[in-house]
Order: sequence, then C-alpha cells, then structure tokens
Amino acid sequence: MPTVLEDKIHVRTPPRQWRFDLVLQRFALVGIIVAVWWLLSLSMPHFILPGPPRVFVALSELSASGDLWLNLGITLGRVGTGFVLATAIGLPLGIVLGSQRKLGEFFEPIIPVMNTVSSAIWATFAIIWFGVSNGTTVFVVFMTAMPLIITNVWQGTRSVNADFIELAHTLRMPDWKVMVKIYLPTILPYFFSGARLAFGFGWRVSLVAETLGSSSGVGYRLRQAADLIQTDHVFAWTITLVVMMAVLEMGVLRPLENYLFRWKKEAENA
Amino acid sequence: MTDIHTPDVHTPDVHTLHPEPGSRPAAGADAAASPVAITVTGISKWFDSNDGQQLEVLKDINLAVPARSIYAILGASGCGKSTLLNIISGILKPSRGQVCINGVLAKDFTDWRTISYMFQEDRLLPWRTALRNVEFSLEAGSMPRHERSARARDALQLVGLNGFEDAFPYQLSGGMRSRVALARSLVQQPSILLMDEPFSRLDAQTRSLMHQELLRIQQLKHMTIVFVTHDVEESVVLADRVVVLAPRPGRIREIVDINLERPRDSTRPEVTRYIQRLRALI
Ligand SMILES: Nc1ncnc2c1ncn2[C@@H]1O[C@H](COP(=O)(O)OP(=O)(O)OP(=O)(O)O)[C@@H](O)[C@H]1O
Ligand SMILES: [Mg+2]
Repeated sequence: MPTVLEDKIHVRTPPRQWRFDLVLQRFALVGIIVAVWWLLSLSMPHFILPGPPRVFVALSELSASGDLWLNLGITLGRVGTGFVLATAIGLPLGIVLGSQRKLGEFFEPIIPVMNTVSSAIWATFAIIWFGVSNGTTVFVVFMTAMPLIITNVWQGTRSVNADFIELAHTLRMPDWKVMVKIYLPTILPYFFSGARLAFGFGWRVSLVAETLGSSSGVGYRLRQAADLIQTDHVFAWTITLVVMMAVLEMGVLRPLENYLFRWKKEAENA
Repeated sequence: MTDIHTPDVHTPDVHTLHPEPGSRPAAGADAAASPVAITVTGISKWFDSNDGQQLEVLKDINLAVPARSIYAILGASGCGKSTLLNIISGILKPSRGQVCINGVLAKDFTDWRTISYMFQEDRLLPWRTALRNVEFSLEAGSMPRHERSARARDALQLVGLNGFEDAFPYQLSGGMRSRVALARSLVQQPSILLMDEPFSRLDAQTRSLMHQELLRIQQLKHMTIVFVTHDVEESVVLADRVVVLAPRPGRIREIVDINLERPRDSTRPEVTRYIQRLRALI
C-alpha cells in the first residue's frame, strides 16, 4: 500500500480576511460623505437639507420613544412574510417547472410578463383587494419576489447533472432521496441568488406599498414625515434603512453564502 | 519466472453455457456455492435512431463471468461496451436476451446494492467532502450515520487517502478524485464491481498506480470485476480474461485468457505478446 501519495493537494486559499486597510477605507468614505452633506446643509434651510446633528437628534428621539424599532419591526415582518410565502410557493413551483419539460414549455411566457409588471400596479391591485392592511404590503412583496425566485430555481433545476442522477440510479436510491441529495444542493446557489435579489426588491417595494396602503411601518412614517415637512425625520428613517440593509448583507447573507458554498472554487466564489 | 504460454483463444460459444474458471481458480465457500457471478445470455440491443431506423448496438452476446475473476471488455470506441455494462448493471433493458446475477434472473434480483458501478468520469458531488462522497453509496439504505461515516473512513484508508476526508473535490488532483470514486464503489462491499473505463482520464503513471491498487484490493476483498476499456495494455495487465468486441453491431469477436502471473510488467516479452495479439484483434 503506497504511503506516500504521488498526488498533491491543492492548497486552499483562506476566505477573504478582515483587512484593516479596507475597513479604514470604508470609514474614510463615510466620513467624506458626511462632511459634504454637512457643508451643504450649512447654506440651506433645515427643512430642505437638515445637517447631521439635527438628523442625529431626530434619530435618537425616534429610537428612544421606541417608534423606530416598532415600525422597523412591522415592515420587516411584512417583508419577511411576503418573502417566506414567495419561497414556499416559488421553490417547489420552480423545481416542478424545471424538471417537467412539457409544463415548463407551456408556462414559460408567464414569468417574464410577471417580472415586467411594475410594483406600483401590484400595489394598486393590493389596495383594491386588501385595503389598508398588512395584506397589501405582503401581497406586493410576494408578487415581486415570487417570479424572481421561480426564475432562478427553474434555471437551477435545468442545470442538475444527469450523470449524478444516473449514479443515484445505480445505487437504487429512492426518488425523494435523489431530490434531497442531488436536486436540492444543485439548486441551492441559484435559489440563494434569486432569494437575495427578491429580498432586496421586496424591501424597496414594501416602502412604496406602505406609503400607499398602510397606517404603520417605515414607509408610512416616511410619508407622514414628508407631509409634515419633518425633513430631519425623513433623513433619520432613510439612514436607518441603509444601515439595516448593510448589516443584513454583511452580517448575515455574506457569511451564510461563504459557509454554504465553501465547496466552490475561490475563483467562482469571488 | 512465469512459464510462457501462447495466448489461449476460445471461440465465444465454448463459454456460453459452461464457463471454465479463469486463470485464477475460484476459491472459497462462496465461489463453490455460486461459481458464476454474471451470466449474459443472447443479449441484443437496438436503439431507435433519429431517422426512424433502428440501430443495432449489441448482437447476441453470451458471457459467463465466474465469481472472483477479473474480466475485461475490450473494443473500439462506439462498439457498445458501455451499453453492455449498463445492461449488466440493470440501468438499461436489453432488447432481447437475459442477464443473471449470482444465478438469479435480473428481473427477480433484488440485491442490487451488492453491485457497484464505477463510471468513466469520477462523478464526485462537488458540494460534498471526500468522506461524504464515499458515504453517498450507503445513503440509499437506512444505515445509521455514524456507521456510514466509519465505513467511509475505512474505504478511504483502503485506497490510501486517509487525511483527505474533509477535502472538497476541487481541492483534489485527478488521481485522488479517482481514488475517492473507487472508495465510493468499494464502501458498500460489493461482490461485483463494474467499471466503465475507470482510469482512462488519468496520466500513464497514475493509471498504472491505480492498477496496482485495484489488484491489491481485489486480492483482499475477492470481488468479481468486469471492466470496460479500449486500452489493450490495461486489459492485459489487469484481467484474467479479455472479451474482445467487434463493432457495428457489437458482438464478441474472441475471448482471450491471460495466463500470466501478477504483477505483469507491460515491458516483458510474454506480456507484450498478448498485447500485440489483442491489438491485432480490435
Ligand atoms: N441512448 C442511446 N440512444 C441511441 N443510441 C445510443 C444510445 N446509447 C448509445 N447509443 C449508440 O450505441 C453505440 C454504442 O455506444 P456505447 O456508449 O455503448 O459505446 P462504447 O463502446 O462505450 O464507446 P466508448 O468507448 O466511446 O465509450 C454508439 O453508436 C452510440 O451512438
Ligand atoms: Mg463508453
């Protein structure tokens, strides 16, 4: 038995590290933006462009009263619900359409049509059907996210390697195990990029829906602040949203993706 | 040294019903109870081709593979070698004829998990580590996870890959990937191992290393091996008996016993004699 392998292992490059200079660059960028903003605000009335101190005060007020967290929670809940529904329906539908050629061919034209319908149209329908309620926002998020998820999962299902299926066949593996062990892992990266897109779109769209058909949530509060010409509050809400998206992206999605898809070559991952 | 035989050439029909054991006598109780591992009787196969005609790929193949022997199926590209192996493994139905495994008709045979199939490509699942890839073979049944993992570890050790359990396929070289695929075929402790040009993608050096590995493991585990190749040298180095297929439609041209002791050095004259003889046949 050969103890020395003639083969060599390809050394794996470690996942991207926290680079100090990069962090520094990011802080510098934020610093410049705030500085420009501050300078501009000095020469304008505060209801047009409030300066950073004013917005900071508004932000701490909103946060202290609990207003910020409550509405953020409400909006997040609606986006989450719409997103989970879109996944629950889009994932199996995408798999079925992708693996059943005939069905796929028949329904193929629907997806691009659904993708091109503007969210404002969904919002209009939602108000007609659901009025001013949670349902409106959830529906709009759902209708925006679902086609994105279906499209991606569909593509993923088509890329399933027939050789792997044949391998499972020679092992006499039952169909449901083939689904779980071969289809699902193949689809996962496609699903993930679809879901990510869907979640991002869902957020933006939810704000529109809330300004039109809701009496709570970040979107509603944004419109309210604008109506009352509380420009500092508008800024405060906007900053909250930007920070939250950044945290979700860097704190949750990126690490999750790095972990789930660590089997991919570094070049593919980058 | 080995006594030099002239290659024995048999006509196919001699072997149809009463196969003699190959150059290595079948030994042990198992072999005595069931001396023939695979019987192929009158197999023909047609495919529907695009122009509506039927393409005859295999014609009247008869074969009997004794338990614990190593058979090579040798033939030019496209002569139906993979098709024959797929029919034996049960993933393809023959148009005519039948296959018996351990004396049981294929349609009544249930113990398919004692048969392993090693493909031309390594077919490693890229999202699984080496260990989990080997485990895959055991996941069709209901074996508990810790047992699967223990057996997979043993199989990796058997092919000389201990220490690489947690490597993903992209981190392994071609030779190592092929070892993982071999481990995956061996982990279910098959009594029959079917291989479709398993080492054809490897460089010459690695391939001959894998040949030695395979023979070492066969000595250890005594499984029956049927492998497909278009590499004459490979067939002579490994097999007890070489089945030469003629193309269009694929049929048995000749069956050649390789009566040489192992290890067989392909530069030795008695080995090259076989190689030349077989080369003339395909
Ligand atoms: N599913 C199929 N449908 C139609 N024709 C097929 C099918 N599978 C194989 N064939 C044909 O049968 C013939 C033999 O194919 P096979 O794959 O068995 O050859 P092979 O001997 O394994 O060749 P190679 O050495 O190149 O792998 C080829 O001409 C091929 O085109
Ligand atoms: Mg082939």
